[in-house]
Amino acid sequence: MTTQSLYKSFIIEEYQLDEEPYYVPIGDEVELFEAAYKQKLPLIFKGPTGCGKTRFVEYMSYKLGAELTKVTKNDADDSGVNLPLVTIACHEDLTGSDLVGRYLLEGDQTVWLDGPLTRAVKAGGICYLDEVVEARKDTTVLIHPLTDHRRILPIEKRGELLQAADGFLLVLSYNPGYQSALKDLKHSTRQRFVSIEFDYPPMDLEAQIVEHEAGVDKDTAYQLAKLGEKVRNLKEHGLGEGASTRLLIYAGQLIAQGIAPRRACQVSVNWAITDDHSLQQSITEIISSIFE
Amino acid sequence: MTDKLKALEDLLPDLEKFPAPVKDNFNKAIPEMPDALSAEQTSDWLKRGIAIAGQTVRSWEAAAHFFQVSPNVISSMPYSYFVRWMECGASLCEESPTLAAAYFEASPATMSKLRSRHIESWANLGDGLYKGTWKSSTLACRFFAESSTLLESLSFQQLENFANFLDVLSHRSYDLSSECLTLGEQIFPLVGDDKDAFLSLATTLVDTGWREVKSFFEAGAKALPKIHPEERMRFLKLAESLVNNGGTNIPGTMLEISQSLSLLDEDNHHIVLGFAEALLDEEPLAMPEFIKSAPIVLEKLTILQLGRWYQEGVNTLSQNKDGGLAFFKIESSHSEAVIETLSSGIEFDRIKPVMEMYCRALAGAEIKLSPTDALVEKNIGWVSNESPTTEGSTVFVPTLVDRYGTKEENYAWFKVVSTHQVAHLEFGSFIFEFERQSGLFENLRFDLETRRIETLKEKQNKESAVGDDVTDSDFSGDELNDAHTGLERAWLTDMQRFFDLFEDRTLSLDIFTVVEDGRLDARIKNEYPGIKSSYTQVQSDSHENRPDIKELPAREAMVEFMVRLSLQQYEGVAAPSKYNKEASQIAQIARRVLVPEATVEDTAEATLRIYAIISAIPNEEIPPDDWNDMDFEDEDEEEYVDPEDMENLLQQIGMGMEMELRPEGEEEYESTQEVEYRGDFKPELAQLMTELRMQQQDEMSQGQGEPLTQEQLQELLENSAELDLQATEGEIQESSGMFADNIMKEAGANMPQSPDDSQGPFVHVDEDGGELEPAEPETFVYDEWDFRAEDYKPRWCVVRQKMMQEGDPAYFGATLNEYSTLVTRIRRQFEMMVPEMFRKERKLIDGEDIDIDDVIENMVDIKTGSSPDEKFYWRRNKVQRDVAVAFLLDTSASTAEAIDEGKNKQDDWDAPDDPVEYMVWLRTRRGEQMRRSYKRIIDMEKESMVLLINALEAIGDTYGIYGFSGYGRENVEFYTVKDLHESFSDKVKRRIDRIAPLHATRMGPAIRHAAYKLDNIDARTKILFLISDGRPQDRGYSREGVEKEYAVHDTKKALDEAKRQGINSFCLTVDKNGHDYLKTMTSDMGYEILDDINDLPERLLVLYRRLTM
Repeated sequence: MTTQSLYKSFIIEEYQLDEEPYYVPIGDEVELFEAAYKQKLPLIFKGPTGCGKTRFVEYMSYKLGAELTKVTKNDADDSGVNLPLVTIACHEDLTGSDLVGRYLLEGDQTVWLDGPLTRAVKAGGICYLDEVVEARKDTTVLIHPLTDHRRILPIEKRGELLQAADGFLLVLSYNPGYQSALKDLKHSTRQRFVSIEFDYPPMDLEAQIVEHEAGVDKDTAYQLAKLGEKVRNLKEHGLGEGASTRLLIYAGQLIAQGIAPRRACQVSVNWAITDDHSLQQSITEIISSIFE
Repeated sequence: MTDKLKALEDLLPDLEKFPAPVKDNFNKAIPEMPDALSAEQTSDWLKRGIAIAGQTVRSWEAAAHFFQVSPNVISSMPYSYFVRWMECGASLCEESPTLAAAYFEASPATMSKLRSRHIESWANLGDGLYKGTWKSSTLACRFFAESSTLLESLSFQQLENFANFLDVLSHRSYDLSSECLTLGEQIFPLVGDDKDAFLSLATTLVDTGWREVKSFFEAGAKALPKIHPEERMRFLKLAESLVNNGGTNIPGTMLEISQSLSLLDEDNHHIVLGFAEALLDEEPLAMPEFIKSAPIVLEKLTILQLGRWYQEGVNTLSQNKDGGLAFFKIESSHSEAVIETLSSGIEFDRIKPVMEMYCRALAGAEIKLSPTDALVEKNIGWVSNESPTTEGSTVFVPTLVDRYGTKEENYAWFKVVSTHQVAHLEFGSFIFEFERQSGLFENLRFDLETRRIETLKEKQNKESAVGDDVTDSDFSGDELNDAHTGLERAWLTDMQRFFDLFEDRTLSLDIFTVVEDGRLDARIKNEYPGIKSSYTQVQSDSHENRPDIKELPAREAMVEFMVRLSLQQYEGVAAPSKYNKEASQIAQIARRVLVPEATVEDTAEATLRIYAIISAIPNEEIPPDDWNDMDFEDEDEEEYVDPEDMENLLQQIGMGMEMELRPEGEEEYESTQEVEYRGDFKPELAQLMTELRMQQQDEMSQGQGEPLTQEQLQELLENSAELDLQATEGEIQESSGMFADNIMKEAGANMPQSPDDSQGPFVHVDEDGGELEPAEPETFVYDEWDFRAEDYKPRWCVVRQKMMQEGDPAYFGATLNEYSTLVTRIRRQFEMMVPEMFRKERKLIDGEDIDIDDVIENMVDIKTGSSPDEKFYWRRNKVQRDVAVAFLLDTSASTAEAIDEGKNKQDDWDAPDDPVEYMVWLRTRRGEQMRRSYKRIIDMEKESMVLLINALEAIGDTYGIYGFSGYGRENVEFYTVKDLHESFSDKVKRRIDRIAPLHATRMGPAIRHAAYKLDNIDARTKILFLISDGRPQDRGYSREGVEKEYAVHDTKKALDEAKRQGINSFCLTVDKNGHDYLKTMTSDMGYEILDDINDLPERLLVLYRRLTM
């Protein structure tokens, strides 16, 4: 072939994780996930932004994949397959064919290109739809047959019904507080999923996480976690969302790079979560109380 | 002597012709006349007397006085002057015998103060005042009578001036003149050297406004003593120039000024008056305002800074007179800003929002921040106006912090104080549970309590045994009951249960306070390293204000010793030598709780132990030599073990013996002075408040729970050492009863108000008052625009947000039926506006551009042989409907106007200004409505709202409906019919029914509040729709009560502000005369005047549609 393809088709192995992601379980979410996976029950993660939903699904995919690989290796001494994780960030222009796939023109020919969802279905991986309510309504309908006992994905364009491979699992994430009422999930959709609620980790765990992720010392990590807790107390007082673990880690990373702690928190936490001047001042006061 | 008498004998028969007093007085006087008097002189004297007596029928009285005073008068002057005196008297008598009598009578006293050469002038002064009328005679007589008193403080020259003044004034009114004479006596001694100025001012005043003269004298009498003696002259000069500059109400102004000056340090009078004098050249009217504001400004600024504030005011004045006046009245934002910039103090109001959030974040609870005086007002046991404190849900902090020279330091102090108070909540001072184990100490509480109860039981048994013997068993029965409840369930809170262990509650509370505060301080410094440095600074500053430990008796000294330790003083802490061992034990115990894991229960255990040690120490004076300084290690590594004698000490407490064992004649134990930044700690009360609140909530939700009785509460209060109930038995009962009442109220006050309360009574605040504070929940404060001053009056209006009461929901349906044809038509029109939610419209036959995806699909279809879809264009949907609208309904009294009759509309401007009259006026107007069978403007507004809701529900716009009214700037009522984020429900239907005409129309704040509400809503298009029936007007919504333009300008400003916030405003009014002011008010914004109010519902919808298309 002389003409080079203008598109690239990712092979499913690219979705696999090479390293074990760092994750500290807060409750029984690991057990729940494993159980649901075994029973092929689709999952919804609910929780505020930056509390570790995406990290958790990565972690689970690696963990389960590693277990699966062990099993296959025992059966046949073949190159084991990890559990692929296909993450799709949903946006309001995301259509059904963006998920399923579409025909492309290549020279005089039409070529079918699988969408990410189709790949996951075929390969038996975890498909993670992040912030699913952002997507157009027609996408949620696509999901329905995949989530019940049928586990099929109809590919209309090709007139195919794709049966999901064994390892396939659909996981959605959903942030209830953050969208407008118009963008709520339909009940018919919601009731197909097992929901796991996420919240920010308790202070000591969060300190541990920040310490690991940001590479700061224990005390700083503890103080950052405390800042997180205090700022979250202000939710409902003009703060849409409390300071996320992610923000705290950012602050920690800046501190690790030698930025003064107060300044680091100011730029990564305070100014990130609110534009309200007096609220900013209050948070500045908290920061200056906690950090020297 | 006899010679003289002989010489007189011829004349004596003449005396007999007159009534007896004449002769009697002569006979009394003759022996006292000086011997030096010659026979001729004496007979001359007698002749003159007889001549006076013989002048008219009544002149014998004058003669009697003449003889009576002569010996006295002659002794104080040479004979030649005495003759003058007699001549003057005689000529006065020709004018009026009464006058002469007064002259003679007043002479002895006056002559001692009057130079002899002035006699004639003096007599002339009195004579001058006499105009031949009865009233003038009274005045002149009084003048003579008062002269001696007046001369004590006036020179003769000044007396002359005063007499002239009285004369001038008497042309206007004799009564006034006479009153001024009396006042003059009081006032002249006060005026000092400035009588001339005072008199000339008074005289000027007669010309400009003689009616004020009396109050001027009165004001002077009250005002002058308040002013530094050396500055009184300048003060009067100021007043005079005010008079010359046409100032009005001079006496009132003088009083106000002097009142303000009296609030100042006397040394500052000089400076302030200096500024005031300079200000006279700029703008005389600003001068009084400046002085009146000076004390307020000086609370925040130093006298030097005042100068800079003043200079800034003068600058403003030169640009804009009204602005300058407002500046000096501190009624402009600019003025406040200048003060704020200059001052180093931290004002509570300024930082409240920030600090409140800070406290909430730290505590993780809905904490409120209030100034301390608010707590004192509640009268629930806290009495100190200064000490920061908390009662469990609110942190109270001082109104103003001005301890240090710089803002930063003051702010740091403020933050430390707040952090400490919040720490009580954050680290659980009030969640003490008696049963919960202490982690750091062996738990001795339980053991101790058992012992206490046993001891009490024994006592009780003894008493009841005694009671059996005594016949009066009722009394012992009561005792028994009391003791019984004391054992079983006397405690309402765990804190109370704990303190019940100790006989000396004050001591135990003091120890508990120090230990707990120490624990919190350590915890804060550990948890919040950022505040550590300012915290340490504040702690070490606190040392300076501590009492001298060596002057305290031993037991108090030991507590003070603990305070020092807790303030991080570890070296050189003074302690009585003979109690060094105890001191180190205490230190060891107290420092156990400084670890982060310490809890309030640990504090309790530590208190118990320290109490055991300290209560055994007699409260005696320690000689100055028996002290030594103790040092402690920074870190205390040793494991703490209770000392052996602890058991014995506890045994004593258990027996309740600690008070009894104290030596006779020791000093009464008094609490040590509190540490300022730690403030007032009342754990028992705070826990009680918290518990009461919880109880209230439980009752609300479940309607059960054992309610606390007033008696129980009262008992707790009487026992508690936290209340200062130093009074006799009966009064304790009374005041604890009052506290109990208030506490109950306070705990219940947090309940949501019943809906009937929503239209509360008026709180009347004077227009001239200062800024307002949103003291209650659901109140908001807004600035108001003063168009003359071209500045905002800061925090001028209080908007009270209330829910509209609920009425009959049937009204809604009935209205829809009435308008059924219109309803269907409108609904159809509105449904066509249904928003297209997607930004991009795809699959169109034509549009902005082709959609690549669709084109490829099209190609694929061609390739695969199926029929292609031609719709592959997309277009951006331009009308993205994302509208939030707030409807603001004028529910002023004028909307009660009938509309059908079209009769002449009563002018709202006739509304009386006086509050009482206004209410009467309003009530009559309302009474008229009761008999109505016609439609009113408000009815049309209500119907419009019904139709509007119906239409808006069809298109799904965010909308809110609010009514506003109010009376005065402190009562702008803002009724919510439907909040912006509230969804439509039966409640809304019911509320619409209750929309009713209320009071006046203060539009500005209502608009600002509606804009504030819209600002919190996320929408692309925001609209403020104002529906009114006339111009804005309200009591005091004008300048000086006359300039109605003020209201229009403020409204305009409010609309401008809204526009800046991205809110489009539209005014719809039914006032046919609306063109004149609406043009000003809305400038380039839209407005419409409805010719026929009946069109309102339909027109409103049409306008709305057009506005949002």
